[in-house]
Amino acid sequence: MSTSAPPPPPPPLSPRPRTAGLNCPKCGAAISLRSFGQAITVVCGGCHSILDAKDPNLAILQQFEAITSVAKPLIPLGARGKLRGTDYEVTGFQRRSIQVDGISYTWQEYVLFNPYKGIRYLSEYNGHWNDISICKTLPTADFSGATYLGESYKHFQSAEANTDFVLGEFPWQVRVGEKAAVTDYVHPPRVLASEKLDKEVTWSIGEYMYGREIWDSFKLPGDPPKAWGVYENQPSTVATNVTGVWVAFAGFAVFLLVLMAVFDMHAKKAPVFNHTYQFNRAEAKSEPSFVSDEFELTGGTATVEVKSYAAVDNHWIYLNYALINQDSGQAWDFGREVSYYHGYDSDGSWHEGKQADDVTIPSVPAGHYYLRIEPEVDPSLATISYTVDVIRDVPVLGIYGIAFVALLLPALLISWRAYTFERSRWSESDHPPVQMSSSSGDDE
Amino acid sequence: MFRKLYLLYGLLTLGTAAFGQYRGWSLDTVNQLKNVPKSVRDNPGSYRSVYSGYHHYTGGK
Amino acid sequence: MSQPVANCPNCGAKIVFRWSSSVQTVCDYCKSILVRTDVDLKKVGQVADLPPDSSPIQINTEGKYGNKSFVVVGRILYEYDQGGWNEWHVMMNDGTSAWLSDAQSEYALSSSSKPLNLPAASQVQVGQQFTWNNQRYTVSVITPAHYRGVEGELPFQYWDKTDVTFADLRTESRKFATLDYSDPEPALYLGEFVEFDDLKLKNLRNFEGW
Repeated sequence: MSTSAPPPPPPPLSPRPRTAGLNCPKCGAAISLRSFGQAITVVCGGCHSILDAKDPNLAILQQFEAITSVAKPLIPLGARGKLRGTDYEVTGFQRRSIQVDGISYTWQEYVLFNPYKGIRYLSEYNGHWNDISICKTLPTADFSGATYLGESYKHFQSAEANTDFVLGEFPWQVRVGEKAAVTDYVHPPRVLASEKLDKEVTWSIGEYMYGREIWDSFKLPGDPPKAWGVYENQPSTVATNVTGVWVAFAGFAVFLLVLMAVFDMHAKKAPVFNHTYQFNRAEAKSEPSFVSDEFELTGGTATVEVKSYAAVDNHWIYLNYALINQDSGQAWDFGREVSYYHGYDSDGSWHEGKQADDVTIPSVPAGHYYLRIEPEVDPSLATISYTVDVIRDVPVLGIYGIAFVALLLPALLISWRAYTFERSRWSESDHPPVQMSSSSGDDE
Repeated sequence: MFRKLYLLYGLLTLGTAAFGQYRGWSLDTVNQLKNVPKSVRDNPGSYRSVYSGYHHYTGGK
Repeated sequence: MSQPVANCPNCGAKIVFRWSSSVQTVCDYCKSILVRTDVDLKKVGQVADLPPDSSPIQINTEGKYGNKSFVVVGRILYEYDQGGWNEWHVMMNDGTSAWLSDAQSEYALSSSSKPLNLPAASQVQVGQQFTWNNQRYTVSVITPAHYRGVEGELPFQYWDKTDVTFADLRTESRKFATLDYSDPEPALYLGEFVEFDDLKLKNLRNFEGW
């Protein structure tokens, strides 16, 4: 209460956290800690000793020889990038590997740090990236799958991951050579992973990212590494509701049948001309062509079927037709062969050709018509009779055939692409699809 | 996404098929000519399909 | 709300209590731990230098939880084999007190709950389940930790603890619980995990280069 005492000095401000500058006890290289106290271990960039980040003297925890070529992180330590609206700094890097069937698969992991938001991770394998964070709520899992935040994930792979190489700072006691039992469950574009290290299980959730997004986010020069194959949680660019496509196809096929029935009933199929002619070589010498009587074609624009019959027996006749509109001068010009051959040989009896022919002329408008016919006949025949039939408005079944194939092909293509994409995805898992061809050779 | 495209494509295909049936399309190829003179009716020999290839039959056995 | 003012019995500095129910505080100048008695402040201990820690929260940080706002008035620091964490004592704008924990940037807000059939420290096991307020809690991890330091105002006396055991209980939602075995009587705290952005924190620590 007395006012005679001098006012006390202001309280010392709590020191602002700074990136600590220290030296490696082994080689003396400068060590900078960027994660403001969240690092448990830090790797000396010079001699690769793993140091205790919580110890002011940076006690040496492990020394490892970089036996394999020193892995260079694609995103350098200290680089900053924006993920999910927050800036993160790369503070750590490790290279890990698993062995499957005697083959070693390596991937890279990056530790990202933000002093307010904490730590995230990026993983990269064959050009495929994932944005990973530790799960706050626990998933439930069994051998076939897992559930997390209402989504179910399928078991993809279980393996033992070895830490091959480390750089930078880590929020755990990292050691080169440490082995963790890792299990991945996928639900593209996410992957749920459990890692068991020294009896402690950590769950993390990752979301697929494209190299281009990473390069843009961290403003890295050049291009990201090309993505090879299909990654476990890579979203499918060719997926679609395949079942839905086939349901649509079935619907279309039914509609096609209905169309067929409707047009078949609707087609008049009216015979408008029928005549039998006798070809006589002597007469035909002077002028082989002739014209038929007129006939009328009714209705709107429709098809006209022209049928030709001749009792050829190992002979041929060829009829040059012209269907001519008397009033408009429009003509349809076509030639039809009627030939039939048969005989015996070493394989038995054979035959080729037919004694009849028919052709459908498209889109003939109504009007008065006649036929101009110029026959040509096998030189060995002196005479032959043939019949010409003209029928107005016949349905063309071939159009439905084409439409059916046109509807089928895209459905097949869509299914095929989605199928091969997923096969590619699962071929890398513990549950690869059964070999389709005998290319493996082992089973045969 | 592909399903929607397929639906649209399918409707177009069906529409085209129906339209073709209605308009009398066929699969056979036939040459068309215009302005055939009325005189052909009296003189069939004068008919020459100069606008398309008038070909003699060259095949056969 | 009138803020009680007193003088530090050790160095004479002015002590202001933001929270009327504060039982203990730390003098900013001489780091003496002071406990409020009926009559005056009594020095009971001394806080050693706090280790440099990573929490972006500091005394006087303000934030929001649901429709209530709060201000940070005190903290307890804990350490365990994997690192450390902070329990920040916050005063809500309705006068109640709660705890905002910051463990490796994982944030959670909880408040003390009435103890109901709590297991003793020797009895609690990972995997045990309890049902409180119609919610099922499962013990997920038991952490032996030790007290590292205090700062600011606390609602109880707390200093110079040696080893303390905490049991974390999780649910399938964001709700969680903590069993605190600092005292002979186990204490139960019920709360939920919160996202940093949802807390809308203001007046945070400055980090060099950020």
